[in-house]
Amino acid sequence: MVLSPVRQLTGLVSAKIRGFAQLLTESRGPYARAFENLIVALIIFSVASIGVESIPGLPDWVMRTLHVAEIVVVAIFTFEYLLRIIAARNKLAFIFSYQGLIDLVAIAPFYVGGFDARWVRALRLLRLLRVLKLQTHYLEKVVEERTRELAEKNAALEKAQAQLKAELEVARSLQLAILPAAFPARPGCEGAARMIPATTMGGDFYDYIELPDGQIGLVIADVSGHGVPAAFFMAVARTNLRELAVRHTDPGDCLAQTNDALCAQNPLDLFVTVFYCILDPKTGVLRYANGGHNPPYVRRAAGPIESLNGAGGLVLGAMPGVRFPTHTVQLLRGDQLVLYTDGVTEAFNPTEELYGTERLVDEVRVHGSGTPAALVERICQSITNFAGTAPQSDDITLTVLTWGAP
Amino acid sequence: MNVRIEALAEATCVIPEGRLDFDAAPGFQEALERALGAPGKAPAALIIDGAGLEYVSSAGLRAVLLAARAAQRAGVPFALCGLQPAVREVFDLSGFSRIIAVHPDRATALAQVQPGRA
Repeated sequence: MVLSPVRQLTGLVSAKIRGFAQLLTESRGPYARAFENLIVALIIFSVASIGVESIPGLPDWVMRTLHVAEIVVVAIFTFEYLLRIIAARNKLAFIFSYQGLIDLVAIAPFYVGGFDARWVRALRLLRLLRVLKLQTHYLEKVVEERTRELAEKNAALEKAQAQLKAELEVARSLQLAILPAAFPARPGCEGAARMIPATTMGGDFYDYIELPDGQIGLVIADVSGHGVPAAFFMAVARTNLRELAVRHTDPGDCLAQTNDALCAQNPLDLFVTVFYCILDPKTGVLRYANGGHNPPYVRRAAGPIESLNGAGGLVLGAMPGVRFPTHTVQLLRGDQLVLYTDGVTEAFNPTEELYGTERLVDEVRVHGSGTPAALVERICQSITNFAGTAPQSDDITLTVLTWGAP
Repeated sequence: MNVRIEALAEATCVIPEGRLDFDAAPGFQEALERALGAPGKAPAALIIDGAGLEYVSSAGLRAVLLAARAAQRAGVPFALCGLQPAVREVFDLSGFSRIIAVHPDRATALAQVQPGRA
């Protein structure tokens, strides 16, 4: 379809007028703001002049001036009213909207009754409504602006949080990756372990260290607190212990050296509880030292359960120069060694009851005759059942070793 | 967890109540720092009355350790008292009760931290 030149022209002109109307009434730009300020000033002036008019005995020239001013004000209000209609997408909706009606009421009395009709003068006070309207309009704009700013900030925060979460996930997988995957292969020896971190980053760890003379070092440890600082301290503690274990074949000496090393590089004043033992797979002799950790259990193949509660030293990293006594225990064929962190015994249930050592010992007593992997699984299941809906507040770590003699 | 501070003539007592876990530890640490005061305004002694403590995690132990160190630096006698058996066990197990004085109750603790006897 081809439009006639006239229609094209009127279309172009009306588009220009509409653009101008929108520029003054709808956009956020400086023109719209200036126009709005002008209107507010006129409303205030016009309401004030209504007050002045009511003073009796004013000179004629004042009344004439006010009359002219009123005509100018109404002309500008009418111009503004028409602009708003032109700018509105749905014109009827604007005319019958609250804003549109108030705009109309502010000028209509002038056209109906002229300047002098008394009732019209009273009606002109309705212009005050426009001030309220403008105020509401202004507030709405401010709210809109703030909402937008808030949404932008929220989006930025969410993005930063997602990034942080992704980085923590990477750190966590690195951390889990440094835990040994399998117990060193030795005839008759079998081991299994599990670490379930409470937050994304745990402070617990366990380790198996292959020592030069064929012996195996076993570590279970718990760094104070959790999160990134605990994870870092865990990595430092593990590395130090691994390095020193090769040179110090006495568990107590090894812990003392590790403690001094940790105290020298501990800016956050963290500490770590460590149980360290060395098993001779050929003879079943187990030597251990304890740095403030929960004493492990030995479940004898014959049934009784013993606690490896030989006197220990202080947690590692708290104070340099601490000594850690070494104790020796003889394992017999089929004996099981159960190492754990306090995340096991201090798991809470929904009524704030502790899992406790008794439940752990019961599980070991009843299910200790199976494989280490089966016992680890049983205990973890038992803790999960006990805790129910209660959130896991601490890392849970378990290591089980069976010695069977070569 | 709730922490109260009682300033007595012979010592300032910090009284934690409830579970001193990872979430409660920063608030507890802050209370201990406040109780220890600014340099020159330190109390005669600092006592943690743990009668209302139900549970202490390793993060809670760390707060106690930091306070013990700060007190030592400031020359302020430092002690724990009134620990319930389960909490006492945590202090024994970690070796903390070997480096920090632990008394059965507040009266004993106050008597022990008197200046000149600490």
